[in-house]
Amino acid sequence: MESIVFGIGITALAGALATVAGAAENTESDIGSQGDPNSQVQLAPQMGYIHRIFNKAVAGEPPAYGLWIALGAGIAWAFMAMQINPILAIVLGSGIAVFVQGVYATTAYLGRTASLAKFGQPVYVDILKSMTTVTMAHAFVAIFATVTLCHLINAALGHPFPLPLLGIVWGIALGAAGSATGNPFYGKERQYQNQKFGAGVPIAASGNIVRYAEAGERNSLDNGWFSAKLGGPASGVCFGLIVFLELWRTVLFEEIGAGWGAIIIGIIIILVFTVIDRYIEVWARKNYGPYTKPAEEASS
Amino acid sequence: MSAIGAKPAAGAAVDTTAMVVGIIILLLVIGATYYLFGSGLAFMALIGIIIGGVLIGFGVHFVPVGGAPAAMGQAPGIATGVAMLAAGAGLAGLFGGAWAAEMGVVVATITGAIGGGLMMAITCMFVNFIYVFGMGIPSASGKVTKDPITGDTQPEFKSQGTEGHGLPFVSYVGGVIGGLFGGAGGTLIYLVLLDLYEEELPAMMNALPAQIVPIAVALAGMFAIGMFLVNAVLAAYNITGTIEGPHDPKFKRFPRAVVASAVASAICGIVAIMIVAV
Repeated sequence: MESIVFGIGITALAGALATVAGAAENTESDIGSQGDPNSQVQLAPQMGYIHRIFNKAVAGEPPAYGLWIALGAGIAWAFMAMQINPILAIVLGSGIAVFVQGVYATTAYLGRTASLAKFGQPVYVDILKSMTTVTMAHAFVAIFATVTLCHLINAALGHPFPLPLLGIVWGIALGAAGSATGNPFYGKERQYQNQKFGAGVPIAASGNIVRYAEAGERNSLDNGWFSAKLGGPASGVCFGLIVFLELWRTVLFEEIGAGWGAIIIGIIIILVFTVIDRYIEVWARKNYGPYTKPAEEASS
Repeated sequence: MSAIGAKPAAGAAVDTTAMVVGIIILLLVIGATYYLFGSGLAFMALIGIIIGGVLIGFGVHFVPVGGAPAAMGQAPGIATGVAMLAAGAGLAGLFGGAWAAEMGVVVATITGAIGGGLMMAITCMFVNFIYVFGMGIPSASGKVTKDPITGDTQPEFKSQGTEGHGLPFVSYVGGVIGGLFGGAGGTLIYLVLLDLYEEELPAMMNALPAQIVPIAVALAGMFAIGMFLVNAVLAAYNITGTIEGPHDPKFKRFPRAVVASAVASAICGIVAIMIVAV
């Protein structure tokens, strides 16, 4: 009984850490225009729209976070093998991983923006100075939280994978969940704030991203502020639920029926999310209605 | 031949010669493994790796991926890359499957499948959540006029100048199925390699079986992740960019990916086996 309570406590803690990690990861990637909305930031100067948006896409979010978290976890693991206190080891590992992220962010911004020189896009050194550190701070939170949850899974819950391997697994999953959930909110809702609400961006408008703020030109800190209102928290809850439910079904139900308990609970959870998804889809169709009259019904 | 003279978009056409060559390479690798190691654990591991690889390659085709256009609400699907999303789901499955490894191959593989499906179910639900409640956009498919599962009509819900947006129900189901296949495939590769390494490493390194477990787990885990990425990327090349799910015409290209995944997995597999069995 005591071990189950302990397991649930660790599961809850891991879920909470994952929520923080997801929110920080998405906000970091939106400030840096990593992930798919990057295509528009890169495209805008080519269409004649010069901007002051930070553009540090190193790779897609999942491989980038796979690298940084595996790096943080690997270094923390090495420090722990040297008998350094785990918390200190994780902080040191995450710190070193963040410096790697900072180097990548700097070279990515300089390289990507310099490649747009022929379209008249300048490299803004003040943007580089003020944005890189902000993305590094967010990345630190994401990396530290994820490495910590990997350590909890490994040390407290007894998962067989060593820490660096867990780091790459959950780093890629973090990037996948964060980019899937958060990208549309930044890409459509923030970059194309000048387009109609409640409709996709017409393909003809590609590249015409919003470049002016309430006062002066918009920069990526404004975008971080906006993403932190919904895209970031939603990504956090998404990743938090993935980690929490995956651990919860294993910790509580794996012993039942020689592993079949966890499988059945997993199927039930999938069905519950399927029902929620269908409800959301139908709700939108009923409440927002179609954009045009249905073709078949109009002709009959 | 210049690029202009080349056939437009090789697309769905299945190149018979390439398929036959692929199958011959596959048979050669299987034959070589049988010749070198006999019909023991190493041979069974290769077969397991090939099945796992095929499951991953096939499963990736179900995952609705919209890439960059999806991030602007210009195309349906999840706004990220094919290989990345499939890897995220499959590795989450591998995590669960590896944890259940001592429960036996069947239970562990199904646990891995459910782990991948669970990750995709939550992620796909949140994609629709953001589209509907964050951006006020309903789901609409650009490839079919009616959702094959629910029968909901699609074209009138497409906003002007876009190919569709969000995840219609069939895409959601496709995402979950893709996660199930990916999680099962990744876990199967891990399990067969773990069995092989636990059997072979003690003699090879002159150590007790208990001492070898961490090395075997780490090695099998790394190879499983690596082979997962190989198969996911291969399938992504086959898809070329974006896919809406099982109802997308691009889905019909899967036979090519199945053969390619089998060949790639066999070649990767024989390397993973030779590090201990030679």
